[in-house]
Amino acid sequence: MAYSDKVVEHYNNPRNVGSLPKEDPNVGTGLVGAPECGDVMKLQMKINPDTQIIEEAKFKTFGCGSAIASSSLATEWVKGKTVEEALSIKNTDIVRELSLPPVKIHCSVLAEDAIKAAIGDWKKKHGVEVPVTEKASH
Amino acid sequence: MTPTKATDYFAIFGLPRKLWIEMGALEQKFLQLSWKLHPDNFVNAPEQARELSLKRSSELNDAYRTLRDPVARVEYLLGIEGARKEGEHKQQAPPELLEEVFELNESLDELRDAKESGGDLAALKSRLQSAEKNFQEKLSEVDVQLQDAGREWDAALDGDDPTRNKIKARLNELLNRRSYIRNLVTNVQKELL
Repeated sequence: MAYSDKVVEHYNNPRNVGSLPKEDPNVGTGLVGAPECGDVMKLQMKINPDTQIIEEAKFKTFGCGSAIASSSLATEWVKGKTVEEALSIKNTDIVRELSLPPVKIHCSVLAEDAIKAAIGDWKKKHGVEVPVTEKASH
Repeated sequence: MTPTKATDYFAIFGLPRKLWIEMGALEQKFLQLSWKLHPDNFVNAPEQARELSLKRSSELNDAYRTLRDPVARVEYLLGIEGARKEGEHKQQAPPELLEEVFELNESLDELRDAKESGGDLAALKSRLQSAEKNFQEKLSEVDVQLQDAGREWDAALDGDDPTRNKIKARLNELLNRRSYIRNLVTNVQKELL
């Protein structure tokens, strides 16, 4: 099965690969994975506590091309957004943007989970009640 | 190979669908059945019977191979019980395991890079070796849990559906976890060669 052009593009030129200091109080880290296929995805964001704007986002993903592209796209999308805006990103948006085939939908679910996990971690650090957000549509 | 409706692998050996199997008795039965199906006994038989005996014989071999292996046995049981769910993204892996998997993958990456650039491999290798040991231990843990769940299954053989379904789900989860860890061990071993 061939990857879509956008997946290949993100795979060859992944945006925002790397990591942010985990201990930084303004950095939220989300580590998620799919045990069955062995994908692990780490997404980190640096969030301004005053404006709640995501100023930086980094990722590192071990997995297939679609998993890498999904997380690369996720970092691109969350940058410059507020926490609330980032939380509204749905895995289906990622599927659409990258034209992911049905068998690769779980990669987009992982990316959505990673965004939520990173923001959840940041909120915990700031003592903010984590609102009950909808779970990704598994 | 899919068993016909009437014969699943357990039924071939005249066994209930239990996960604990006495290996000696299984082997005995296997030899006995193999003997019965041996082609020598069908030299003068009509072609149809000859073919059938061949088919049965290969089915018997598959059955024996599957039931002899404790993990394959669970996998097969869940399959015929319609409860094997592979690759279904149901439960999130425990955070500590993800953390370890992530670090392991990073070490694997480093080792690959070091191999390419001819860097210092000794330190990396010893790190990976201890990771491998760690995952092997986890694998043994899962196997013990699998055995425990298997005993529960056997005890609930005539139990109610909710109980049985709960055990099936647990067995399924353990199999997924096992294959996850198994893959990691294989990956590490490949790099350490």
